[in-house]
Amino acid sequence: MNWFSRGVRNAFRNATRTTALVVIIGLSIGLALSMLIANQAVSQKINSVKSSVDNTVSIFPAGLRGFAGGGTPLTQSQLKAVSSEPHVTKLDETLSDRLTSSDTNLSSAISAGSLGRRFAGNGFAGGNGGFAPNFNFTPPVTVNGTTDPTNLGSSSATTGGGSFSLKSGSVINGLSDADVAMVGSALAAKNNLKVGSTFTAYNTTFTVSGIFSTGTKFGDNQVIMPLATVQRLSGQVGDVTAATAYVDSIINLSSVTSKIKQILGSSADVTNSEQQAQTAVSSLQSIQTVSLYSLVGAVIAGAVIVLMSMVMIVRERRREIGIIKAMGSSNLRLFGQFMAESVTLTLIAAVLGIIIGTITSNPITQMLVSNSSTGTSVKAAGPGGGFGFARHFGGLAALRGDVSTIHAAVGYGIIGYGLLAAVVIAIIGTLAATYFIAQVRPAEVMRVE
Amino acid sequence: MLKVKDLKRYFKSGDVVVKAVDGVSFEIPDGKFISIIGQSGSGKTSLLSLLGALDKPTDGAIEVDGSDITKLNANSLNSYRANTIGFVFQSYNLVPNLTAIENVMLPMEFIKVAKTERLARARELLAEVGLSDDQMDRKPGKLSGGQQQRVAIARALANKPKYILADEPTGNLDSDTGRKIFNLLHDLTKKEKTTIIAVTHDLSIAGKTDQSFRLKDGKLVNSSVAKKKK
Repeated sequence: MNWFSRGVRNAFRNATRTTALVVIIGLSIGLALSMLIANQAVSQKINSVKSSVDNTVSIFPAGLRGFAGGGTPLTQSQLKAVSSEPHVTKLDETLSDRLTSSDTNLSSAISAGSLGRRFAGNGFAGGNGGFAPNFNFTPPVTVNGTTDPTNLGSSSATTGGGSFSLKSGSVINGLSDADVAMVGSALAAKNNLKVGSTFTAYNTTFTVSGIFSTGTKFGDNQVIMPLATVQRLSGQVGDVTAATAYVDSIINLSSVTSKIKQILGSSADVTNSEQQAQTAVSSLQSIQTVSLYSLVGAVIAGAVIVLMSMVMIVRERRREIGIIKAMGSSNLRLFGQFMAESVTLTLIAAVLGIIIGTITSNPITQMLVSNSSTGTSVKAAGPGGGFGFARHFGGLAALRGDVSTIHAAVGYGIIGYGLLAAVVIAIIGTLAATYFIAQVRPAEVMRVE
Repeated sequence: MLKVKDLKRYFKSGDVVVKAVDGVSFEIPDGKFISIIGQSGSGKTSLLSLLGALDKPTDGAIEVDGSDITKLNANSLNSYRANTIGFVFQSYNLVPNLTAIENVMLPMEFIKVAKTERLARARELLAEVGLSDDQMDRKPGKLSGGQQQRVAIARALANKPKYILADEPTGNLDSDTGRKIFNLLHDLTKKEKTTIIAVTHDLSIAGKTDQSFRLKDGKLVNSSVAKKKK
C-alpha cells in the first residue's frame, strides 16, 4: 500500500460521509454539465442562425407597414444614390398595389372572413369608418411590380413569407415595361387561368407568363408584374414601396446599412438581415450567458464543497497526519494522499453527475429556451403583414421559429468535460486543505487525548 | 553516541514563558536502554519530541553521531525521522483504517523499501512480537491494548532505527501486560542493537534500564546508572 492507494481507500472510510459528498458533488457536476450542454447547444444554434444570414439590406418608406400606416414612397433618385454606393452590387425595387373589382376582372382567392370585414370596417382599407364590420368587403388582389421576380425569395417582398417557386410557364423580365404577369397558384385556380391566358387590370389586357406558388394562401393570391408596368398603369411613376440592396460581403453589411440610413435619413426604415438575426438570437445569447454563469457557479460550488470537506477531514485527522509525519513522510506525500482521496470522491461523483447531466440537460435547455422565447416574443415581434400586402419579415419569423428548436446532445466530449471538471474541482478543493496539512506539526502525535 | 547540549524549549502561554526544557545536557552511548522519569509536566515528553525531531528547540544542540539535528532542513529531518528514529507511544497511535501489517509496512514506504520486502519484514516483526496471522490482518480497533502496543513496537522497529523513543509505552496497559511489553521492548532492542530512550513514571521500569534521567521543571536534576537487575 502506498500514498495513492491509502488515499483511494480513505475515500471510503466513512460510508455516510462518502455517500453525502458523492451526492452533493454529483449534483453540482450534473448541474455544471447541464449548463455546459445547454451552452453548447445554444452556441451551435446561434452560429447556425448567424451563418444563415444573407448580405441584404431592406428599405421601406418610413411609417409604412403593409397597406397600413402612411408615409411617402421611395423615389428613383433616392434609390439611385443607394445603388451607386460602394459595395452595393444590386438593388431590387418593388411597388405594391391592390386591384379592386373596379380595376380588374380577377376574383380574389381569399374570402374576407370576419378579420377582413373587421379590418375593412376599421378603415384600414377604406371602409366605412368606425369599428363596425364592413359586410360588403371583398379582399383585393395584390399586385407587386418588381425588378427581379427571379429572386423574390431573398427579399420576401412578394412571397408572403413563403418561398417562391415557379409551377408553370416562365419568369417575366422585371426590367421590361411589357403587359405580362405571373399569377399566384390560388388566384390562377380561382380564375381558371393558365399560362397564355389573359386577364384585365388597370383597363389593360395582361398575358399570363407563369404560374407560381409561395406555399402561403396570401402569397398565392397575388400578381407579379414588371416594376415599370405597375408604376405606369397605377399612376405611380418612379415610386417604390420596398427595395432590397445586395452587399458584396457580409463584412460590409453593417457599414453599408449605416450609409443607406444616412442617405435616406428619416424618410425610410432601413434594416439588414444581420440585425434581424441578432434580434432573433438575442434571447439565445441571454440563455448562453445564464448557462455560462451557472456552469462556473456550479463548478465553484463543487470546489467549495470539496474544499470544506477536505479541510474538515484534515482537521479530523490531525493526529493521523502527525503520526505519518513522525514516521518520516514529507508534506508532499501527504498532499498526494489527500489529493487521491478527493479525486476518488469527485470522480465517483462525476459518474453520478454525468448521469444527472445526461438526464436533465435536454429538459433544462428546452425549459430555458421555452421561457426565454415566451418572454421575447412580445418584445421582438416585428412588423407583420399589413392588410393585403406582402409580409417582408417572413424570413425573420422563420428564424424565430427555428431558434426555439434546440436539441441538447451528450457526447464523449461532455463526458470528458465532466471528468475534467471532477479533477479540477478535486484539485482546487484540496489545495487549501494542503495548507492545513502543512501546518500540522509532527509533535501533534505526542498529545495524549 | 547521542549528545544533548544545553537544550531549551520555551513556550509562550499568554504573557508567561513556560520553560518545558530548560538547559538539559547529557550523553547516551549506543545500545543502551535509558529511562527519563519525572512528574507530570516536568518536560519528559517535550524532551522526547526534541530528540525525535518532532519539535524544534528554542536553543541548544542535539548531536547524533556528530551531526546536529537542530540545524537540519525539513527534508533532512524527514529522512532523520524515517531512518534513525522509531516511536512507541502511550496511546499506540496506529493508523485506524490500516491493518496491523499495513501499519508496520507504513514507515518502510518512506525509506523506499520494495513492497514485497516490506510485507515480509512486517510479517516477521509482527510474528516476533507475538501476533498471529489472523491478528495481522485486523485493524487496530479489533485488537486489544496490549496487541496494539505490540504492533506499535513492531512498527517502531520496521526501519531498523538507531534509536527508539518510547513515550510511556506501558502507560495505558495493566501491570501484567505492561511488564510483558517492557520485556518485549527490551529484548527486541537488544536483539536489533537499538538504543532505547523511554519516558516513564513507572519507577519499577526505570529501575530496570541501563541509565535513568530525572527531570524536574524542565531541568535534569539527577542521572543514575542502574544496577542492571532486569
